[in-house]
Amino acid sequence: MDATVLIELLSATVRIATPLLFVALGGLLSERAGTFAVGVEGMMLTGAFGGAITAFASRSLPAGLLASALSGAAIAAIIALATARFRADHMVTGLAANILAIGLTSFLLRGLFGGKTPVIVLPTLRPLAVPFLSGLPIVGQVLFDQPALTYAAFLLTIPIHFFLMKTRAGLTLRAVGENPAAAFSVGADPIRVRVAAIVACGALAGLGGAVLSLQELGTFTDGMTHGRGFIALAAIIVGRWMPFRVMFGCLLFGAASALALNIQGWGLPVSSYVIQMTPYLIALAVLCGIGRRARMPAAIGKSFTRS
Amino acid sequence: MRDLGAEPPPSEQQSTGRLFSDVGAWRAILLAGLAVTLAFVVTALPIMVSGRNPLLAYWALLRGAVGSVDAVAFAFNKSTPYVLSAVGVAICFRARVINIGSEGQLAVGGVAASWIALHLSQLPSLLLIPVSLVAGGVAGAVWACIAAVMRIKRGVHEVLGTLMLNFVGTLVVSEVLHGTMGEPGAGFPQSPLFPQSAWLPSLFPGTDMHVGIAIAVAAVVATHRLFWHTPFGFRLRLLGSGDNVAAYAGASLVRGMLQVMLIAGGLAGIAGAIEVLGVHYRLIEGFSQGFGFNAVAIALLAALNPLAVLPAGLFFGFLEAGALAMQREIGVPSSLVFVIQGLTMIFVLCAMGVGFKQQRI
Repeated sequence: MDATVLIELLSATVRIATPLLFVALGGLLSERAGTFAVGVEGMMLTGAFGGAITAFASRSLPAGLLASALSGAAIAAIIALATARFRADHMVTGLAANILAIGLTSFLLRGLFGGKTPVIVLPTLRPLAVPFLSGLPIVGQVLFDQPALTYAAFLLTIPIHFFLMKTRAGLTLRAVGENPAAAFSVGADPIRVRVAAIVACGALAGLGGAVLSLQELGTFTDGMTHGRGFIALAAIIVGRWMPFRVMFGCLLFGAASALALNIQGWGLPVSSYVIQMTPYLIALAVLCGIGRRARMPAAIGKSFTRS
Repeated sequence: MRDLGAEPPPSEQQSTGRLFSDVGAWRAILLAGLAVTLAFVVTALPIMVSGRNPLLAYWALLRGAVGSVDAVAFAFNKSTPYVLSAVGVAICFRARVINIGSEGQLAVGGVAASWIALHLSQLPSLLLIPVSLVAGGVAGAVWACIAAVMRIKRGVHEVLGTLMLNFVGTLVVSEVLHGTMGEPGAGFPQSPLFPQSAWLPSLFPGTDMHVGIAIAVAAVVATHRLFWHTPFGFRLRLLGSGDNVAAYAGASLVRGMLQVMLIAGGLAGIAGAIEVLGVHYRLIEGFSQGFGFNAVAIALLAALNPLAVLPAGLFFGFLEAGALAMQREIGVPSSLVFVIQGLTMIFVLCAMGVGFKQQRI
């Protein structure tokens, strides 16, 4: 394997990991506060949609990014209301939100443009070379010649780690996920903390969707997230609910997908459908490998009532 | 839940029961009606955003669903796989197994049935159709079993397991259609047409309504009997009660999970077989799209009651048939159905959550 192939593989790894990382960091906040984040797939799809049509209509990428975070947060707010306030089942509510997101995005895509599927073509975010650093051999091209959202995703891991592990608010959030009654007894409001965590999760997952629609593909198509949200959930489990480990979980799945994509280029007799299966199969294999060692937040999936 | 694999101690199970708690028949009907009405009211918003009149859209939907004999037959055919897979999902949820893998199970069921229909075509119809249906059921059950075993042996939560297997199952259909089972020279990824001996006969001569709906009704009644009138069903209900009652009574969580997954997978697989043998007469890429989510929505609307799955499934079948007609006639996109479905589910879930008797932590 020569250097160009290696560089190609590694930068594909980083590229594929980027949307997963946004979604996984969001899901991490939601799950650390005690709510299963099955709805991230829907938040991501809505974010991709909101970003794409806003950028298309306003011809402004920043507006598109803002819209993607807001639309992801909007779907998340519905989930937050249902699970935290009305104590609905987390898993199935997340699933319902995913269906709602598929329907809404597909319906509005046609409905807003007079019943026809519009051809949305957007300029994608171009790679920005970091001066000096991008000149480094291999590392330079892999890490420092990427589009803006990729830098944002990886840099975001640091403040999220800091917030969760080193601040009082982060401690409260984790406490609510471990033992809401105890958090309540020292003055935190578990319902409000959970709602905030889920909405923040929605904004981040929405940005993950924007990576797809504004950075990678420059368009929106029905159901374009293809289960990436669920892969991100697997990455959270791989990373044991810790931000930096979750980042490596995302890179792991990114590397697996990059490798699978490259195998096709090497002319091996593997059909493209088997290649498309690999991310899901690898995720399952990794989850099976971890087995029961993963320890999730103690109160995850359980509702809190004040009475 | 401290550990995804092991059953959490009873003290930690208190409020996870809200999805599974039983509600009375009248309350369930009221709840379902209310949820559906609310969903329609809220869905009017996106319709108005897209510049249409919601009342006109709903009127077109209603006409499309029940406007003619053909429309009704079409809607019954649509409902058949929904009812079959939803009844399996309902008993899974009852036993606290969140199986959302109907789509994948249905897909591989369709592949297996198609393989039989194409390769054993010399068999007489009376043999070929049952063998194909059984093959579909077995394939679906095996597919569901994979997720169950991963959960039991390796602690992989069945939600993630079944979700991932949905994607894989759908891709298996594409793989075989671009490989050994595809029709050479066809512009679309599909198998050759099945021999007529493999086509499901119609229930009423002169209509397109095939016998699948009769199979679905039989499955609903059988599951209802199984669930409420057998020791097996009693054990499942114990598992669903979430107390340590089940453990005291000697009901095994592992065995129960395996059993409900096999049943649900089998039913979804048969649904897939019916879809290819009764509607398309061939295997088509993406034929299972959205069926799994439908099944969950229907099971919830039926308040996880096997018998109530029949009306709930018919409702969603007619809804979808009507939506397709609405799209053809007045150009309102049929993906509206997913909006209605998602909202209905959320409202039902909220009602279940609030209705569950409040417990102290």
